[in-house]
Amino acid sequence: MRKYIYTLIALLGFATVAFGAADSQIWGEMRIQNILGYGQEESLKLGAWFTFLQSKYFAWVFLGVLIGVPTVFFLHYKIVGQKVFPHSHNKHYAFNLFHRTIHQVAAVSFMVIIPTGFIIVFGDFFGGGTLVRMAKNLHGIFTIPFAIVILPMALMWIKEAIFNLEDIKWFMILGGYLSKKKRIINATQFNAGQKMWYWVCILGGLVMILSGAMMFFMDFKIEMLHNLTGLSHIDMLRASAIIHNVMGFILVAVFFTHIYMAAVAIKGAIHSIITGYVEEEEVKFLHNAWYKKLKEKGKF
Amino acid sequence: MENARMKFYCDESRCIECDGCSIACAEAHELPAGIARRKVITIHEGIPGKEVSTSIACMHCTDAPCEQVCPVDCFYIREDGVVLHDKEKCIGCGYCLYACPFGAPQFPREGIFGSKGAMDKCTMCAGGPLATNSHHEFELYGQNRIAEGKVPVCAAMCSTKALLVGDAESVSNVIRARVAARGGKGFNSYGWDKAYKNQ
Repeated sequence: MRKYIYTLIALLGFATVAFGAADSQIWGEMRIQNILGYGQEESLKLGAWFTFLQSKYFAWVFLGVLIGVPTVFFLHYKIVGQKVFPHSHNKHYAFNLFHRTIHQVAAVSFMVIIPTGFIIVFGDFFGGGTLVRMAKNLHGIFTIPFAIVILPMALMWIKEAIFNLEDIKWFMILGGYLSKKKRIINATQFNAGQKMWYWVCILGGLVMILSGAMMFFMDFKIEMLHNLTGLSHIDMLRASAIIHNVMGFILVAVFFTHIYMAAVAIKGAIHSIITGYVEEEEVKFLHNAWYKKLKEKGKF
Repeated sequence: MENARMKFYCDESRCIECDGCSIACAEAHELPAGIARRKVITIHEGIPGKEVSTSIACMHCTDAPCEQVCPVDCFYIREDGVVLHDKEKCIGCGYCLYACPFGAPQFPREGIFGSKGAMDKCTMCAGGPLATNSHHEFELYGQNRIAEGKVPVCAAMCSTKALLVGDAESVSNVIRARVAARGGKGFNSYGWDKAYKNQ
C-alpha cells in the first residue's frame, strides 16, 4: 500500500516535468469535460460546494480552532493545572536516536507547515503578495521532509498505537486529566490519546500530503486516478481542496493538543523526546501497564 | 444615470469555430505560450442536435465565485461588472480555478520549483489595478482597450460577429433582433444563465 503511495508521489513529480500546454488536463481538450462537470445534475456539484464552503466557512472554522483549542487548554491550565512528577527517580531509555530524529524532523516540518497554512487561510488579513506567497512556498517545501519521515514514523510506533479495550476506560475519564488527583492509569507505552494522535497524524498526514500534492502540481495526468475515483480532473482538484481544509481542522486541533500535553499538562514530559529518557514516576502513574512490563524486565 | 453592466455573449448559431478570438487575444496581450485567456470549445461533440461550438473565457459573472473564494482577496469588481484581479497580491493557490464554472483562471509555471505563478485570466481588455495604460499594466494584464474607448479585441475581431460584448442592454438588443430574424430560434449561449443569473 505504502509502496503504491510513494509510486504515486513520484509519478506526480514526473508528470509535471514533462508537461506542455497541449496536454493540459485543465485548459486543453479536457476543459470541456471540466466545464460540463460544474453543477450539472449528474455531477457531484463539487465546484459549487467548494465555493460555498470556502467563501462561508473554512476560514471561520480555522479561526475557531486557532482560538478555541488554546482557550480550552488555558482554562484547563488555570483550573486543573499541570501534573508534576518528580524527575529525581530512575529513568528508562525509551526513545533511541532514530526515534528522536524521525520525530524531530516531523516536528520541525509541522512547526513550519501549520503556521504557514494559517497565513494562507488568513491571506487577506496579511494583505497577500510576497509574504503570503512565501508562506505558500514554505508550506509546500516543508512537506518534503514530513513525507520522507512519515513512513518510518508509522512503522516504528505502529505496534504501540493499536487500540485495546483499556483505551475505552481511558477515554471515559479522559486519562484522568480532568482532575487534579494523581491516579494510576493502566495504559501501555502510548495511552489512548497518544494513539489517537498517531492515527490522525499518520493517516491524516498522508491525506494532507496527497491532497496538497494534487493542488500543488495541479495540471498532471494520471489516468489511474480518474478510473479509481470516476471524477474529472477538475473535480479531483476540488475534492482535494475540500478534503485538505477539513482534514486541516482536525490535524491542527489534535496537534495543539499534542503540544499542550507534552509541554504543559505534564511538567517536563517534553524532555523524554529530547533526551530519550522517560521518568519512572510518570510511567508508573500514567502508563501503568507498560510500567509493570518494564519492571518485570528489570528496567527500572 | 445607472452604470452599464458589461457582458459577453457568444451566439452559438454563428460561431464557426475559427479560433480567431483566441488568437487575437493572445496576440493583443502578448500572452506567454501555454496561456489562452479565450478558447473556442465544442461541447457535446458528435451528438446530433446538441453539438455546439462556443467561445469561452472569463464571463465576468454577477456573483463571481472566484472573488468569493480568494484567500488573499485579490479580486475586485468594477462598477460596470468587469471582474479584475491584482496579480501582485495573488499567491497562485488555484482556488479561483476550482470555483470557476468556466475553467477561466490559468497559472503559468514559475521558478525552479515549478510552483504556480500569479493567476492570469481575461480582463475584458480592461487592464488591472495599476496606472491605466502604463507599461507595467501592459506587462501584467495586457492592453487596456476599454480605457482607450475600444471594443475588447476578441469581439472586435470575430469574423461572424458571434461573439458580442458590451453593456447588457445593447447586447440584448442585438440578440433580440437576431432571434426575431431567425424566427425565434437560437436563443442559446452556453454559460449565459450561469454567469449572469438572468439579470
